[in-house]
Amino acid sequence: MTSRLLATAALLCALLLPHCVRVTDGIEVDVAYQPEATPAQIQTDMGYRVRLSQAMLALGQVELRRCDNFVLDLWRLVAPGRARAHEFETPTSLGVPVVIDLVESAGTPMYAGTLRPPPGTYCGIRVVGMPADQDAEGLSDETMEMMERSVLVSGALEDGDGLETAFRAELRQILDVETPFDRPLVLGRPGLEHVAIEIDHRRWFDGIDLALLRKSESAVQHRIIENIRSSFRAVLSAEEDWL
Amino acid sequence: MKGWWIVGALCAPLWVAAEASACGTCAVGDPTLTIVGMEQPRANRVRTSATVRHRNDRIGEPQVDELRLSEQRMELAGAYSPTDRVTFSLMMPLVHRLVTAVNLAEADIWAPGDLELRIRGVIWRDREFAPRHLVGLIGGLEFPTSSVETDTEGVPLPLEFQAGTGSWDPIAGASYTMFADPWSVYVSSVGIFPTKGTADTRVGISFRQTAMGQFQPWKFLAFQLGAELRIDRPGYVGGVRDPNTGGHITYGTVGIVGLPHAKVLIHATAAIPMIQRLDGSHEEGFAFTAGLIYDI
Repeated sequence: MTSRLLATAALLCALLLPHCVRVTDGIEVDVAYQPEATPAQIQTDMGYRVRLSQAMLALGQVELRRCDNFVLDLWRLVAPGRARAHEFETPTSLGVPVVIDLVESAGTPMYAGTLRPPPGTYCGIRVVGMPADQDAEGLSDETMEMMERSVLVSGALEDGDGLETAFRAELRQILDVETPFDRPLVLGRPGLEHVAIEIDHRRWFDGIDLALLRKSESAVQHRIIENIRSSFRAVLSAEEDWL
Repeated sequence: MKGWWIVGALCAPLWVAAEASACGTCAVGDPTLTIVGMEQPRANRVRTSATVRHRNDRIGEPQVDELRLSEQRMELAGAYSPTDRVTFSLMMPLVHRLVTAVNLAEADIWAPGDLELRIRGVIWRDREFAPRHLVGLIGGLEFPTSSVETDTEGVPLPLEFQAGTGSWDPIAGASYTMFADPWSVYVSSVGIFPTKGTADTRVGISFRQTAMGQFQPWKFLAFQLGAELRIDRPGYVGGVRDPNTGGHITYGTVGIVGLPHAKVLIHATAAIPMIQRLDGSHEEGFAFTAGLIYDI
């Protein structure tokens, strides 16, 4: 009889067992866009002044890029292929759409999200611009045009004599930008790192002169898009400098 | 502190066994050493057991969304046969799960799992005393006794982080046992039919086939060799199919059963995945089971 009571007691104890959960954060990388503050007047490298009417980017994805790894690359080459859906949200990529209006920029950073990558050495960031969806942060009546564009820039170029020539550049396709870190980001242990994606739109109009403007609108557009690509810079930030 | 629970539970049957006075296997007229669930029913036979299980699991694509799971379960169970044909068993697990994400984030969970009730009824036997052939039906129910683990905002964590499915899961199946001392064979087919559970999750229907042969060269020691097949239908979260669920897996098993005391059995089984055809990115690893059984 005592035995049965003990058995019953053991089962009852199991039923009343307390539960507990301990969750520890792993490797995390906070990412923020850091546009430059827009000056009253932008001066180009060719001495022109730019009056900006519109300068908008629609960004949809940020991806952490691994450094070249011969063994890993070889493995991916020989390993059986795996079908993968169009993924925006993975441990190494963020799929948070955002519209950045640089005319209004005061140099304030915009938090993009937190990546949770596996251990490894990462050498840069890939930023993908794409037409914004309705949920994009920063989408307003003024930026509604970005639902069909990834880049929209318009304004006027003013020469030394005060003569203004209007320009407009837009991109309706994907804007693909890859930019390296100033030093490799080595992630080996759980901890928090910070990456700032600096955007310097003061350099978007370098290399453009009136002759180019008069010659070809598409050449100007091409030049501006290339300048936009090279205006991105990925910077590893220290905790004290962050946001 | 939690380790003491396991040690205590494993030792409990031994403590109870101190009062042992008769041979459990002798009373059924067959010397075969059987673990809980495979025994011959005998009116008023009561058995208790404590079992520890360990297994590893990998879900998701490596370097992308992989979760590595290491699970240890401690199961306390009791089985009672009111007649020579029916056995009721009740099993309560305590689950420890360590889930590691690709970014080395960890969730360490200790929680009670889902209580399981099983009823096994013998529908045919070749003779009343010491039958050599037993055919039985199995019915049961898993109760949603596991706690629902949530994040800091109160949102339930994914199923991998839960100690149980949190659903009412009916169980149905059949078994056949053959006793031909020193050999015995156990075959069972069981289906588990989960209902909607934790975090709007519906685990897929699972079919489990066990085939096991046992050779018992001595009264106190037996060796087991077998196979366990599991076929799962896909699971759904919020109505959307979880791509890493479903498929089938076959384990090869080797085990040993010992009788250190007239009323106490100890057993250990290793299960090695032999054929894995699990859907999506899902890989199961080596599993190990050890336990103590006390015939009251």
